[in-house]
Amino acid sequence: MTNTPNRTALACHILLGFVLAVGLVGWLGLSRPLASAEPASLDQSFASTAGPFLQQHCVRCHNADELTSGIRVDHLDAALEDRQLKLWQAIRQVLRKSSMPPEDEPQPTDAERQAMLGWIDTALDVAQSRPTPKNGSVRRLTVEQYRNTLRELLLLDDELTDTLPPDAVSRDGFLNNQETQVLSPLLVETYLDIAGKALDRCLVDPTARPVIQNFRMDLGRSINPQPCPDALILGANSLLLNNADFQVTQPIPAKSFAFESFAMQTKFRFIEGYQGNDTVRGWRDYDSIYHAVFACLRGAEGYPQGRAYSTVPDGLLLRPAIPSAELFGVDSTYGPRANFKISLRELPDHGRFRITVMAAKYDDGLLLDAQTPTQPEESAEAITVTAPQSATTVTMPQAGIYQIDLYAAKEAKPQEVTLQLGTREFIGTLQSPAFLVVRLPAGELPFRLTSPESMPVERCVATRLPDDHPLAQRFRVFEQRSPRVGVHLGLRRDCGSTLNPVSTPQAVTSTELRPYIFEGAIRNFPSPDVEADNVNYLAGIREIGVRSEYTDGRDMPQLLIRSVEFEGPYYDDWPPATHRNLITEAESQASTPEAAQQVIRRFATRAFRRPITDQEATSLMAVFEEAQAQGESWQNSVKDALQVTLTSPQFLFLTEASSTPDAEPLNDYELAAKLAYFLWNGPPDDELLELAATGALRAQLDDQLTRMVASPKFHRFVEDFATQWLSLDKLAVLEPDRKQFPRLTRDARLHLKQEPVMFLEHLLRENLPSRHLIQSDFIVANEVVASYYNLADQTESGWEFIPIPHQQPELGGVLSQAAILAGLSDGREANPVKRGAWVARKIVAEPPDDPPPNVPTLPEDRSLSLRARLELHRNQTGCAQCHAKIDPWGLPFEAFDAGGRWKQEAVDASSVLPDNTPVADYHALRRYLAEDRIDQVAFSVLKHLTTYAIGRTLTYRELADLKRESEQRRETEYPLQDLLRFVVQSPMFLEK
Amino acid sequence: MPGFSNLDRRAFLQGVGGVTLALPLLDAMGAEATAQAPRRFCALYTANGMSLPRSEHGIDDWNWFPSRDDADEFVFSKSTEPLAPFRQQLSFLSGMYHPNGPKADPHVCSDMWLTGAPLHNPKPGTYNSVSLDQMVALHTKQHCRQPSLVLSIDAGTGFLSRTGTISYSLEGKPIPAENNPRRIFDRLFRGDRGSLQAERDALKRRIKLVDAVVESAKSLQQQLGQSDRERMDQYLTSLNEVESRLLASERWIDIPLKPQDYSHLNLDATNESEPAEYYRNMFDLISLAFDADITRSVAFMLNREDGMGISDTFPLKLGLSRTHHSLSHTGDKDGQLEFAKYDLFLSQQVAHFLKRLNEYQDRDGCVLDNTLVLFGSGASTTHNPRNLPTLLAGGKNLGLKQGQFWQSEETRLSNVYLTMLHALGVEVDQFADSTGTVSQSVFEKV
Repeated sequence: MTNTPNRTALACHILLGFVLAVGLVGWLGLSRPLASAEPASLDQSFASTAGPFLQQHCVRCHNADELTSGIRVDHLDAALEDRQLKLWQAIRQVLRKSSMPPEDEPQPTDAERQAMLGWIDTALDVAQSRPTPKNGSVRRLTVEQYRNTLRELLLLDDELTDTLPPDAVSRDGFLNNQETQVLSPLLVETYLDIAGKALDRCLVDPTARPVIQNFRMDLGRSINPQPCPDALILGANSLLLNNADFQVTQPIPAKSFAFESFAMQTKFRFIEGYQGNDTVRGWRDYDSIYHAVFACLRGAEGYPQGRAYSTVPDGLLLRPAIPSAELFGVDSTYGPRANFKISLRELPDHGRFRITVMAAKYDDGLLLDAQTPTQPEESAEAITVTAPQSATTVTMPQAGIYQIDLYAAKEAKPQEVTLQLGTREFIGTLQSPAFLVVRLPAGELPFRLTSPESMPVERCVATRLPDDHPLAQRFRVFEQRSPRVGVHLGLRRDCGSTLNPVSTPQAVTSTELRPYIFEGAIRNFPSPDVEADNVNYLAGIREIGVRSEYTDGRDMPQLLIRSVEFEGPYYDDWPPATHRNLITEAESQASTPEAAQQVIRRFATRAFRRPITDQEATSLMAVFEEAQAQGESWQNSVKDALQVTLTSPQFLFLTEASSTPDAEPLNDYELAAKLAYFLWNGPPDDELLELAATGALRAQLDDQLTRMVASPKFHRFVEDFATQWLSLDKLAVLEPDRKQFPRLTRDARLHLKQEPVMFLEHLLRENLPSRHLIQSDFIVANEVVASYYNLADQTESGWEFIPIPHQQPELGGVLSQAAILAGLSDGREANPVKRGAWVARKIVAEPPDDPPPNVPTLPEDRSLSLRARLELHRNQTGCAQCHAKIDPWGLPFEAFDAGGRWKQEAVDASSVLPDNTPVADYHALRRYLAEDRIDQVAFSVLKHLTTYAIGRTLTYRELADLKRESEQRRETEYPLQDLLRFVVQSPMFLEK
Repeated sequence: MPGFSNLDRRAFLQGVGGVTLALPLLDAMGAEATAQAPRRFCALYTANGMSLPRSEHGIDDWNWFPSRDDADEFVFSKSTEPLAPFRQQLSFLSGMYHPNGPKADPHVCSDMWLTGAPLHNPKPGTYNSVSLDQMVALHTKQHCRQPSLVLSIDAGTGFLSRTGTISYSLEGKPIPAENNPRRIFDRLFRGDRGSLQAERDALKRRIKLVDAVVESAKSLQQQLGQSDRERMDQYLTSLNEVESRLLASERWIDIPLKPQDYSHLNLDATNESEPAEYYRNMFDLISLAFDADITRSVAFMLNREDGMGISDTFPLKLGLSRTHHSLSHTGDKDGQLEFAKYDLFLSQQVAHFLKRLNEYQDRDGCVLDNTLVLFGSGASTTHNPRNLPTLLAGGKNLGLKQGQFWQSEETRLSNVYLTMLHALGVEVDQFADSTGTVSQSVFEKV
């Protein structure tokens, strides 16, 4: 492999090569054997007619070695496998038009040509009327399904499935295709390990007293009467909160059961550490809780306006944490600005934890830009305070929104001043007199200004702004906003971040302090894994980050943090729910074989998603009995049986057992599982299983679908399906050119990747017509995404995705979504081929043929535009045929850059589509798809939905049936949820 | 055609599922039955880069990278001269780099050296990704007693940002390193009974569980139609394979160690002793472990980044004027010359190791012929993550064409690692951010 191939060409060929590789998998024996229903006469006539014709006129140029135009026909035979039908059709086409064999080659006689065409017609008829063989199916749970299942079955939040090898991608782009799923010893070993680990984490010794760690850090200026006298050492680029501004205590939580409190270690001896920015060596002893838990800050430098953080008597004020840049040296890699963290040495190593943040929205003022004009001092509304440096009281005649202008006595460099108004403090850099807009109450107002000696402030002028003043309007929007508190957990490191979010941020709407609770499983976060006798001061330090989450830099009231309290492992009761879920108190106390049988039977029935057979019960009990015979405890013996259950194929596979080759209806348990793994990407719930048990599920299919779509679990389906259908993973691995696309940051990409999912989810839940996929007058976005499209002023939803009307001609629908357009680029140059192939495959379901091997790379000449280079490439023999079906779809997208944004300059985005329809630009393409070709779009949705729902590639005949059926629904405008219903009620789904 | 041969190979491996992996493992055990000599890997890391003196100082012959003579043959520099006797068994590689290198804080280059991970933007819940030695261990562990041996100048893991190990587990967690020759010797060559029994019990329990799953699978298989049974057969095949691996591991416990001569070891040496004495003993232990087939994967961090740990003082002990980290930051002639003299010291230690690996014999040649020894740094000079000094020794029987100086323009180390994995018989299709294998120079025949 060369080291510096042409990027575009390489990416293109990796993509194509991948398709080829996936194709091979099927070829090498995993594909379902065809039922051999063809009449034997077809074999004979192939031998007498078609075979010799191919040999004589085609094979010389189209064989395994030659592959002219990427086509070989030497392997064709009378079996007419599904995957060869397209090729047969193509052969029929060229023979009819007499475009093959080429003019300069010997030509068949008309009679020979007709005989061949006749044979192909007959053969295709036979092949296409072939019924789809029905003989059950066995699908392995995908990694995602396995994860969801384990989580619901065991009530365990721990993420354990990282060690599983990833699922293979099928030709259709899906991970749940039974033909591409791989089984390997590594996979089996991993299942066994995960099952063991998971059960270990669920079960406790019910007679033991749990140990619970609890500590609280209170924050506020001078809050600690006995601060730690040591100057702490925290390594490169760390800042510490003043030792007096935080206090750590270990309160004992109130619990309904007996437990032991965990006391953190406070005595330490270390040899390696830091002194300032230097690493040092030498033994030092420490003895203080403040060497076990301390308040650390980073990224405080260079906040655009105001201080990234400050302490006030009531707590710690935080401005939104601006994400750090992705490149070392370009910008700080020390986490976001500001990055407040509680650093500590000890956290529990298992179970759930709860972090409670006492927080409020600060009754904040809006710091003004340097360019803001002052208010006229002679105004009747103006209240002037002279000598503001000494504390004074001002009487405000009227409540309202005021602008505060501070006049320095002399010219000075901009410096930081602190303005106290009542109990509130406003710190900002005074660049011009216009300083602050703030809402003030009527009456007495304590007033004090602190400014550096080099910049004495002569007078302050507070002017009430009329309601319609632009600044008053801006302030009203500002004060309505709520900061969002986010909690993160990770490991201390010098650079980058291992901090990961704990659940989702919460809006802090009140100016009163309230508790905000965050919970998670401790093992889902990086653990230090250092040995107990590690001699480094900074070894194994954990961090709890608390932030005001950032969206797009809009003005935001500061977040006030009063305290942060940690409790873990967090138990609602003892034994915890994960234990009671498996073994009841009575069973535990009895500890008899009968009790074991009860536990095992109950668990296996849920795990297998159906009542277990007696044989299964017997073999699982045998595991228990054998462990007992080996002297294992009752609980460990039960655990062995449960571990076997979780490694059994009855759990790991979705089976539809069939006894004949004919179509049979799914039984109700199979149906319940199939529905749940389709619409929830997870196991059936109690209601589905109860309906299956009573045999009522099929009759209630429609109601159940409605219920399932309404469930939050439906999001898991949309996420999984949309990610695979629309190839959203490409964005995750994109390395955008940061100079060209400064706004396509790591964080922005995370949100942009959600956009197609949230959009599709909205369309499905609201049952909107399929046209919206192509053309829609709204986007579904949060502030980050809206901001990317310059629609920031249309929403105040924070990180929440909501429909937003856009009124921009290029937006709306999936085609213009940045996640897709940027994902199909290399981060530098837009790639019409990739975009075209994507539209052909995903949107109109006219997938191009597999590329031939030995595809030449794109010409290297960078002086040519990509469009020109593609043209050269396309015109080479062997390329033109496929690219004629790909590139025309991609060219109209030239109006979007590689970051998925509409180009400002005019570009040639015209194209002639594969069906010879000319389109002038992107708008015309979209109109064409949304109006003239909406049938095809709806068919594509159906094709992909069905393929995903049944977990296998559709046969030629199934596709033809689907197309016919879908066109009959044209009148309805193809509402998306209706398409889902259609899939679930189709024989493809309901039969095995 | 770039890419295709690898993709085909991947497709092939997937297509046949577990079958290719189901080699008769028991046959692979014990020297007499070994169909193929062990294939081994050893990574040796030195921190802070090498001395690449500025040309104006006129000491180019102290540049760690070789030069070329009039016949275009490469010439060892003064700082690598001790390695000259092994000329036909090693190659120098230039132009190596990790694409993620320039993005991360340069102090974590040792964390990335064997993993290539995006440390600036780790996968949620993790810090690093699996290191090359652990990838090798994953595929060789069933053939030997210990999956891998993780060594470092300082014990443990150090701390995040200044790690004391170069080895990371499949989950990307740092693997604590061992540094004490006596403890290493006791663990490898003097296994205690108690832990052996515990190991045996754990294996026995696991074998029983796998047996039970096989039973369960069989009962399901009886309920299925013919075509579904094929899939179930695959599962059963995989289960059988797992079981045979477990049985193999269990048998190892009872196989006595190969008799070896330990008399040259000085187990009292520690990292506080003379540096040369310490390194010699560590390398002797690795050589013994390879010879007895105790492990096939070793990672050894010779010294640590950014002045951490005891190794920073080694240059002082050797009579040089500054610590290791300080030397690496020098730009003046004297400093760069002294830094190069420390490189010379390291070359002497590595030369001793190669000599040992030449002395021990496998059935088809010396141990070195069946071992890939990778020696290098995560920085070229300090804090420069490009053109990483890289030396690859051994592997004559693994298809390597040694005796080269491969001056590549810019090559992803992960592509080199992937190629090395293939040479070692580990047929994975990707490693870290690899984009394919390499086939130039030393790898021409891999």
